[in-house]
Amino acid sequence: MIDRFIEKAHIAGAEIERVADPRAAADFIREFLKKNDLRTALISPDLKLRPPFDMEFAGTATALGGDSIWVDAGIVAADHGVAETGTLIHFDRSDAEKNAWTLPEVCLCLLEARDVTSSLDDLAPAFAAHLGRTDIPSPQVSLVTGPSRTADIECQLTIGVHGPSRLIILLT
Amino acid sequence: MKKPAVDPALKKVLQEFSRSFRAKRLAALEGYDFEALRTRLAAIKDDALDRNEELLARFEVNARAHGSVVLRARDGAEANAAILDICRRHGVRRLVKSKSMVSEETGLNDFLAERGVEARETDLGEWIVQIAAERPTHMVMPAIHLTRKDVAALFARRLGRDVPEEIPALVRIARGEMRREIFAAEAGLTGANALIAENGAILLVTNEGNGRLVTTVPPVHIVLASIEKVVPATADALAVLKILPRNATGQTITSYVSFIAGPHAAAQYIVLLDNHRSEMAADPVFREALRCVKCSACLNVCPVYQLLGGEEYSHVYMGGIGTLFTAWIHGLDKSKAMAKLCLRCHRCEAYCAAKIPIADLITALAERLNRETGKPLWKRLAFDGVMGRPRLQQAAFKAARTARKAVGTRDGFARKLPPWMKKYDRFRALPSPAAVPFTKLFKKEFGTAAASANEAKGPVTIYGGCLVEHFYPEIGMAAARVLAKLGYAVKLAPGLCCGFPPSNGGFRKASGQAFGTLLKKMEIGGPVVTLCPTCATMLSKRGPEIEGSEKANALAKAVIPFGRFIVENELAAVRGLLKTAPAGLTATYHDSCHHKNLLAGEKASRALVELSLGAGIAEMDESDACCGFAGSYTVDNPGISAELLADKLAAIEKTGAGIVAMDCPGCLFQIRGGSRSRGLAIRAAHTAELLDEALR
Repeated sequence: MIDRFIEKAHIAGAEIERVADPRAAADFIREFLKKNDLRTALISPDLKLRPPFDMEFAGTATALGGDSIWVDAGIVAADHGVAETGTLIHFDRSDAEKNAWTLPEVCLCLLEARDVTSSLDDLAPAFAAHLGRTDIPSPQVSLVTGPSRTADIECQLTIGVHGPSRLIILLT
Repeated sequence: MKKPAVDPALKKVLQEFSRSFRAKRLAALEGYDFEALRTRLAAIKDDALDRNEELLARFEVNARAHGSVVLRARDGAEANAAILDICRRHGVRRLVKSKSMVSEETGLNDFLAERGVEARETDLGEWIVQIAAERPTHMVMPAIHLTRKDVAALFARRLGRDVPEEIPALVRIARGEMRREIFAAEAGLTGANALIAENGAILLVTNEGNGRLVTTVPPVHIVLASIEKVVPATADALAVLKILPRNATGQTITSYVSFIAGPHAAAQYIVLLDNHRSEMAADPVFREALRCVKCSACLNVCPVYQLLGGEEYSHVYMGGIGTLFTAWIHGLDKSKAMAKLCLRCHRCEAYCAAKIPIADLITALAERLNRETGKPLWKRLAFDGVMGRPRLQQAAFKAARTARKAVGTRDGFARKLPPWMKKYDRFRALPSPAAVPFTKLFKKEFGTAAASANEAKGPVTIYGGCLVEHFYPEIGMAAARVLAKLGYAVKLAPGLCCGFPPSNGGFRKASGQAFGTLLKKMEIGGPVVTLCPTCATMLSKRGPEIEGSEKANALAKAVIPFGRFIVENELAAVRGLLKTAPAGLTATYHDSCHHKNLLAGEKASRALVELSLGAGIAEMDESDACCGFAGSYTVDNPGISAELLADKLAAIEKTGAGIVAMDCPGCLFQIRGGSRSRGLAIRAAHTAELLDEALR
C-alpha cells in the first residue's frame, strides 16, 4: 500500500522523502530550507501536537503569521494518506493550518506510513464525523494531491499557479 | 440568427484536447468499473432529486448549526440581489471568485459591477477571459480558445510592460497578480460541487488551489449553488468526487478538494438558487438532466462542440446538456438555435458521468419547441405533410423517380440540380433516385419470398428503410441474397418510412402515424433484419415507445441489425460458404452513430468486413465521429455537415484503404457523395454488399 501511495503521489507531481522519524524529518527540513534559500516559513500550528517534531527553525527561516501574502515554505503534517490517488488528507481546525498548505512556494508535509489508507471510501466516516463537529468554528477536510496545477493556457500542464509549486512528502 | 461559424484554429485545439482527454480519461478509470460508478451516481442524484426539498431543509438546519447563513433565491435576480446585500452589509468592494457556472447563469459579475462591487475571477482561465473581456468557451477550460501569444499580449497590455511568451512565466505573473487581488478582497465567492445535507458542508473541487485561497483569505465566504447539488451524506459527495475528476480532466483526483462546513472567519453565506430547477425536477422527462455534475465530458466528445466551441454553441451553458439547461433556465426561445446543433449522435451518452440520455432529451425538447414556439416550415411540409401520410410519401418518392431524367443521372449521382439545392451538393454529390425501388426489384428476383433451402431456419424479414428502398436497392438485394444463401425464407417489410425523421424533428404525431402504418402492414414472425441502424432504433425503441401496443413490442424484440444477425447466428456457415480466399483487400470501417452507440453493432460488422475481404481493418482516426449526415441535420446545418464530412474523408484517406465499409445508408449517402465530389478513389460500401460479393 505504501508503494502504491508513493507511486500515485509521484504521478501527481509530489516528491517523496523517506525519513526515519520526526526528528530526522526536522533535520531534513532545516537542511532543505538552507539549501534552497527559503527564508520565510509558515508552520502549521498542529505540528505542536506532534511533540517529537522539533519546531525550532530559528536561524533557518523566519516563522511568519498566517496572514502573510508571500511565503517561501510551509511546514505541515497530514492526518492521512490515500494510496489510491496519492492524496494527503488534513482535518483543518484553523485558517493558519490551511494557509501553511496553500500560500507558500514549497510545501513540506509530514506523513506517517501507518496513516496511509487504501481508498478514500475508507475515510468517509471520519470525514463525516469531522464535518459534523460544532465545537470548532469551521471544520474542514482538505485533500491535497501534488502541487497546484493548471492547464488553462494551451492545455499545457503548469505548476504553482496559486498554491505551492513543490509538494514534498516526508514519509516516516 | 446567424449561422454558427467554424474557427479553424479553435477547432484544431478542441479536437486535440478531445483526443488527449479520452486517452487520459481511460487511464484514470483503469481498474474502475465506470458503468458501476455512474450507475451509483445516477441513483444518488435521482434519490436526491426525489426528496430535494427535504434534503435542502436538512442542509439548512445543519449549516446553520455551524453558524452559516442560508438564503434561498427563486431566480437569478433574487440571487444577485442577495449577494449584493451581503456585500453592502460587510462593506465589500472587491469580491474574488473561484469558478462558478451558476454565477455566469445569473450574470452576477455585471450586476455587481454596475453597483460598485468589483468581482474578480481567480481560476486562471476565467481570469484571463475576464481580462480579455470575453466569455468562457469551455466549462472546465474557459480560455482554451486563446494561445500563449494571446495571453502574453493581454498581460503586456494590462501590466504596461513586455511579457515573455512562455507559459510558466505567464502563470508566474498571473500568480502574483491574483494573489494580490485575493488579499485585497473583502469577500470570496465559490460555487459548490455538492451540498451535504447531513452536516451542512460543501464540496469544492479545484486544481489550482484558488478555491482554497478564496475561502480562507477574505473574511467573508459566499457560496452560490444551485439546489440540485444537494446530496444526503458525505459518502454520496465522495461518490461525486470519485467520478468527477476522472471524467472531467482524466485525473484520478484534482490537486485540491475541500469539504467546508461553517464560516472560517467573519461569516459564511450560502445562497441556494432554484431558477426553474424545481419545475425541471418535477418534469418526468427533463428531470434526468439535473443529475449533471458539470464534468463536461459530453462536450469533450461532441463532434459539433469541437467544431464550434462554447462561444457559438452556448447561451450560458454549452453543448447538448447546456441546451437542456438553457431551455428551462433562460427560456425555450433561447434554446431553439442550440437544439438545432445537436446531431443526436448519442456519442456523449457513453461518457456521461450521470447516465443522462442527452440526445433523447434534445428530441423531447424539439417536440416542445415545435409545440410552443412553432414548427419550421420545411419540416412541417416534409414531416406533417408527407412523412406522416404514407400515401403521399409513396407519391413523393415516385415523383422523385420520375425526376431522374430531369436531374440527369450518371453512376447514380444527380448532375443537374435546381439552384436552391446547390448548398447541399457543393460539398457532396447527391445520388439520384434508383430507377426501380428495392421492393420491386426483390419481387422480380425472388417473387414474394426468397425460397428457403432449409425450412428449419424459418423466415427472416428484411427492413431496408427509405434510403435502401429509393436510392440504394442494391444494398437490400445484397442482404437478401446473403440470407437466402444461408437458407432463410427471406421476406420483405413494406417499403415505407419507419417514422424516424419526423420523430427526430420533434414531430411526434407524424412519426407515430408513419410508424403505425408500417407496423399495421408488417407481419412479424422471426427476426426483422435491418439495413439502417437509425431505422432499427426507431423500430426497436422509439416507435414502440410512441405506439405502446403488443405488436410494437413484439417488433422491438425481433429487430436486429444485419451484421449482428449474421455474426450471432451464421458465422460458422459464412466461413463454410467462403470457398475461395478473398482477394485480401484492406478496408477501413466507419462507425455509424446509432449502429455503435445504440445497437452495439460495431464489433460484429468489423468481423464480417474482415471475413469478406480477407484482411484486417485499417482503423481510421475517430472512426465513431459522425460523418455529418444525421438525416435532416445536413439540411438544417449544411456548413457543419460539410466540415464533419471533410474530417471524415481525411481520416479515411489517411488509412490508405481503398474501401470504407459502414452499416448505415445515410452515412453512405454522405461519404459516397463526398468521396465522389473530391474525386477520391475510395469505394464506400455497406457491410451487406461486401459480404454478398464475397459469397458469390
